Amino acid sequence: MPFIKRLRWPDYVIAAVLAAFFGTIIFTIEGKLNYDWRWHLVPDYILRYREDRQEWFANLLLQGLIATVRISLYASVLALILGTILGIARTAENLTVRMLARTYLELLRNIPPVVIVFIFFFFLSQQLIDALNLNRWSRDIARSENAAVWEFFFGDMRRFPSLVSGVIVLALFESAFVGEIVRAGIQSIPKGQREAARSIGMGRFQEMRYIVLPQAMKKVVPPMANQFITLIKDSSIISLISVQELTYKTVELVASTRLIFEAWITTAAFYFVICFSLSMLFRRFEAPR
Amino acid sequence: MFTRRTIGLAFAALAATTLAAPAQTTQALTQESVIEKIKEEGVIRIGLSLFTPWSMRDINGELIGFELDVGRALAEDMGVDVEFVPTAWDGIIPALVSGNFDVIISGMSITPARNLTVNFTEPYAFSGVTILANTAMTEGFTLEDYNSPDVTFAARRGATPANVIATLFPEATLLLFDEDGASTQEVLNGNAHATMASDPTPSTEARRYPDTLSVPFDQTFLATGESFALRKGDPDALNFFNNWIGIKTRSGWLQARNDYWFKGDAWADQVSQ
Repeated sequence: MPFIKRLRWPDYVIAAVLAAFFGTIIFTIEGKLNYDWRWHLVPDYILRYREDRQEWFANLLLQGLIATVRISLYASVLALILGTILGIARTAENLTVRMLARTYLELLRNIPPVVIVFIFFFFLSQQLIDALNLNRWSRDIARSENAAVWEFFFGDMRRFPSLVSGVIVLALFESAFVGEIVRAGIQSIPKGQREAARSIGMGRFQEMRYIVLPQAMKKVVPPMANQFITLIKDSSIISLISVQELTYKTVELVASTRLIFEAWITTAAFYFVICFSLSMLFRRFEAPR
Repeated sequence: MFTRRTIGLAFAALAATTLAAPAQTTQALTQESVIEKIKEEGVIRIGLSLFTPWSMRDINGELIGFELDVGRALAEDMGVDVEFVPTAWDGIIPALVSGNFDVIISGMSITPARNLTVNFTEPYAFSGVTILANTAMTEGFTLEDYNSPDVTFAARRGATPANVIATLFPEATLLLFDEDGASTQEVLNGNAHATMASDPTPSTEARRYPDTLSVPFDQTFLATGESFALRKGDPDALNFFNNWIGIKTRSGWLQARNDYWFKGDAWADQVSQ
């Protein structure tokens, strides 16, 4: 292996020191931590065969993982839309629009996400849900015959309103960051291009639509991809408002079975695998061809 | 003539409104009751937070436990469907107040502070909690020895055991955690002397870690009682729930379910404890 041949003696020293360091930590934990590891129980909570129904089904952890993927997808689409509008508003010529966008952005960027989640959930989301009569609407679907289609996209329809609040609040605070990325992209387009667009008779909208945005969006793909990965990790925050995603399901599993370390380590592995493989995938797209 | 008739009509209308007003008030109160909403929508939404053996996830990820039996029986008696809304314990009262569900049935003990925000029914359970102690750290302790500043208790924040500890052992240090598993782990690791929990959890834990944990006292310490919590200003719902609990208490049903979940462990193989 060429990789091994390239190692010099300082590399071996560093590796040895690291091994000793982590070895000591693991040894100390084993000595201090009085814990009865029960890893054999974990696979059943991911995928389990139900004897009574003769079928495999996704148990708590996998249900949570699927919910996290769903929520992240919907929230990122919404955040992209809101963020693009915000980014355009940030570079608008109208002062009021610019100030409004700035206010929104500074508010959401300078309040911790947890606080935003609580404020939104307890003050706004229930009003929204009641106003749209979402509870009854989703329950009717849950009771109807074609519930399966809806459940493929949104999970348990009885929990749909909480999914909606989760997606909206996640999209709200991620849109602030997406907005900044879009603004940077728009501002990176040389002024000459915009002036040229105007000089050939394009309006402000056409200039944005045909000249600025296509180039800006291409430029911001790498930071946007990063932001998407951040969003997946941030989605664990909405477990606080009882949205049934991976973190919340893990809390429930721990409360029911006391598999504290096994469950949390498995969940950490789930998040890591998703986020790391996505970042590898994005890196591949970004690589110069 | 025309004028007189108009005045007469106006007067009659006024009188009718004035007379009808009190009747309308009572009707409005009834109309706004959560009971009416439950009947109209054909579903009762119950908020709960997982807490062994009150409510927990079984090996198939389904909810089981004492609360689930109570909730299902309640819905059956009302002739409606039941929907359980698992909610994080920290936000369960705000979630009730903002209307996420109709009632909390989650082993919530009555405290004056909570009662200022929500209404409580008559207790439907009196869970006895026992001490689960780190054997080595509490060797030779009498009950009085626990009430000392040198002794550390761990418990779940805002739950019954935490209240009982604060009442019984006011001198002891109390560490609060978000869920039960963490408090037991603190006792296991020797960071706390003891925790308290509803039976049969302490005996299950002591069986799993026989070298470290033990249940030092045979007696249970009776808590103040657990109740349904509901939004304020709803006398109809309070009356309904109180009477339902009264009937189920007198028929012995609540005690039987309580014994099943808290005294024995016939359900243990449904959960990988």
